[in-house]
Amino acid sequence: MIVPYLAIALLLVATGYSAIVSFRSTEGKARSWTFPDRAGRPARILVGVFTLIFLTGAGLWLLTSIRTSTRPSSRLLIPDGYTGWVRIGFEVKGTSSLPMEGNEYIVKIPVEGKLQTSSPEQYGWARDKYYYYSAEGVHPLDDSGPAQLIWGKINGEESGATGERKYEEFFVGTEQQFKDQGNEEHKARDR
Amino acid sequence: MLPFCLYFVAGLITAFHVYTLVALAAYGVPINPLEFLSLLGSLSLVTAAYISLFKPYAAARIALVACLVMWSFYAPAIVRSLHAFAK
Repeated sequence: MIVPYLAIALLLVATGYSAIVSFRSTEGKARSWTFPDRAGRPARILVGVFTLIFLTGAGLWLLTSIRTSTRPSSRLLIPDGYTGWVRIGFEVKGTSSLPMEGNEYIVKIPVEGKLQTSSPEQYGWARDKYYYYSAEGVHPLDDSGPAQLIWGKINGEESGATGERKYEEFFVGTEQQFKDQGNEEHKARDR
Repeated sequence: MLPFCLYFVAGLITAFHVYTLVALAAYGVPINPLEFLSLLGSLSLVTAAYISLFKPYAAARIALVACLVMWSFYAPAIVRSLHAFAK
């Protein structure tokens, strides 16, 4: 990615230039394009027009990105009492698509914690909701706050024999259980 | 126009860069308070760009302070990156 290098290079040039202008003596020195005096009226009008166009463009871009960055939310139903990693595989051939209720995807996780669907992964901002389900009904799971039970949500892509596979993973359990399984993974890797 | 272009583009690019780092907070990446300081520096640099049209020398001093503020984020970040690369 070029942006960090460009930012550092521009910052170096701006620092050097502003330091030279700040400390150079102006007495008896002619104005030049590198060290100009105050800008003339045409230049100021040009900058004003440029600023107007820039702000309009930035505003339009912001509006467009807000409109396109939202997605339908998901209602994730997890088997009651399940703890551990949940994995959802997307765009898996021969599997069913995710049903929708209202404007929400219903993602019902089987007891083994792994679900495969032919539906594509959705990108953008949305407020997903998590529930434990059982024969008696559903009750909500906190994904934030002191009683948080959803951790380490990741969206990834991996290559396999059938091509690229997109997936989503998250951990269901208490903070201690999440940390413990992390420690166990480290120990297993160190062995 | 040179100081305007230089300060404006530098302020914009550094702000965009630091904004992308701050936005990673949505994925759980902890925010470094120096990132906000750097954003403030970028804003000051863009302000200096407009001041340079009227008072180039005052703008240069503002831009210099803004750049030094931004270096408080960039310098440790560069050192850490070089250190990690050397390892």
